[in-house]
Amino acid sequence: MSENKKWYSLDLGLNKKTETTGSCGCGKSQGSCSSHEEELNSEEFYQAAINASIGDERKRDGFEQVFDVKMDRRTAFKKLTASLLIGAGAITASCSSVTDDATKEKAQIDWEEQFKGNYKLMSDDEKQATINRLMRSYELNTGKNISMTAENAEEDVENAEEDVLFGYAFNISKCQGYMDCVSACVEENNQDRNSEMQYIRIHEMKDGEGFKFDKADDNYYHEVPAEDHFYMGTQCFHCDNPPCVEVCPVQATWKEEDGLVVIDYDWCVGCRYCMAACPYDGRRFNWSKPEVPENEINKNQHYLGNRIRKKGVMEKCTFCVQRTRKGKNPACVEACPTGARIFGNLLDPNSTIRWVLENKKVFRLKEDLGTDPKFWYFMD
Amino acid sequence: MKNKNPIFYLILLLVLTLNSCKEKDEYHSVIEKIKAEQKPYHGKLTSETLLAGTDLIEITEGEHTFLIPERKGQIKSFACTECHNSSLSQMKSLVGKKAHWEIQLYHAPDYIMNCATCHNGEDMNSLNSLTGQSINLDLSYKVCAQCHSSQFEDWKGGAHGKKLAGWTPPRASMTCVNCHDPHKPSFDTRWPSNFNIKKALERKEGLDH
Repeated sequence: MSENKKWYSLDLGLNKKTETTGSCGCGKSQGSCSSHEEELNSEEFYQAAINASIGDERKRDGFEQVFDVKMDRRTAFKKLTASLLIGAGAITASCSSVTDDATKEKAQIDWEEQFKGNYKLMSDDEKQATINRLMRSYELNTGKNISMTAENAEEDVENAEEDVLFGYAFNISKCQGYMDCVSACVEENNQDRNSEMQYIRIHEMKDGEGFKFDKADDNYYHEVPAEDHFYMGTQCFHCDNPPCVEVCPVQATWKEEDGLVVIDYDWCVGCRYCMAACPYDGRRFNWSKPEVPENEINKNQHYLGNRIRKKGVMEKCTFCVQRTRKGKNPACVEACPTGARIFGNLLDPNSTIRWVLENKKVFRLKEDLGTDPKFWYFMD
Repeated sequence: MKNKNPIFYLILLLVLTLNSCKEKDEYHSVIEKIKAEQKPYHGKLTSETLLAGTDLIEITEGEHTFLIPERKGQIKSFACTECHNSSLSQMKSLVGKKAHWEIQLYHAPDYIMNCATCHNGEDMNSLNSLTGQSINLDLSYKVCAQCHSSQFEDWKGGAHGKKLAGWTPPRASMTCVNCHDPHKPSFDTRWPSNFNIKKALERKEGLDH
């Protein structure tokens, strides 16, 4: 793989580690494994830097430090110099031969991740490599494991299955507006809890007034179903002719073989053209770094699905690619207690979604735009 | 140059015309694509592992064959005849232990339905069709289907009712009584499980749009 790689590989001496089979695990070429003197030095360096940066603010908690700050110009400069010191320290740490393996490995992973290509263009080996890097990176940062893999599959890379085209049907008569789907979606897909990002919107519409999304309420809180109202959900419709894909200037979003419209979060530049192009409000933007409490993180992840996003990238419903490519239903379908949500393989003539399309009177939203959504509505 | 120009434009036109036709495997709509590429799914994905641990029975109704959860094993005091060891008319009395006192019927007006519409006092282990024939308790949907024929059609096809497991075959659907209490089949109102405070605040402040 290294021969035809598209970028220069940073070698921080980790490869030597695989050669040494002895008890020495630090990967050093010279000196003893337990040379505390040097490590202490770098630790002292950090301590000095931290002292310079926070100093007397040690006693204050995080909230006070952020919100209760009075600072003159001198302290501001002092702080700035301190952060620069830490930054410089980090660089020396990654380049010197005395820092520990974890730091080196982290630096190497960051390097490789920085220069990797678009997921769409990767070979399966390259996909596997980036998945491994991301899993290892998470482990190094938090000390916990995530699984970005298929549990029962022979290989971890989950590409689109053959003879599968995913489609969705939504029964307007059955939806009662419970919003169990919304909660399940947030939990499944590791959406930002801070901004309360949600992919699904349930619109409460007044009977007899038709679809008026501007008059409908998508954030109601009263007992449901309310009298004289009906409910309909919208999310990403995974259009067969997706305008969001068309406008993306860097091809960070595309349609997979099984019909899922997906995003490479590491390739997205955050221009939000796709958000503007989507006629269904299906896309969401991370205005801040997404925050999910560690104990609430869904650790079964997919590169194109629910892995933790970063600040400044787009995300949206992926029909739970991490679930559906293992044969499960999306989290919203599983959570809905009314059976209003139907998911399946459009290419399989025996699937229930096909029966719905052929036997119920189905329609799609804004059909005249030619976006060809794979999300149909129907009534009893 | 003057001679070359028309040839150049001709070639350009030819290239453009050839390229304007989409590739052969492109369709004008997703429905067209589905019709052209449809094929019963026999891939490696299956719901069998997801369904493991659930007691299911296979039923065939019309052209549909699928799985539904078994029922008798889920009823705590089955078999009913362990208590109902004589016919209901004999057990009914003002004295003695009362049973099922909490069950009230909110299904249809009492000139249409009473207990005996579905239950047979002489054979409590089975259900009762409108013509008095016995129906296996595991196949209770047959009782419901006597009146609710449109719901039955939708359920068979998969448009009504929740599915068990995933989208992959074999198909497993919940049966009527898994969601509806047959004595009170409608649902009460309840509170939604979600309220987006951030969205509400943003709208209040006029930040939304």
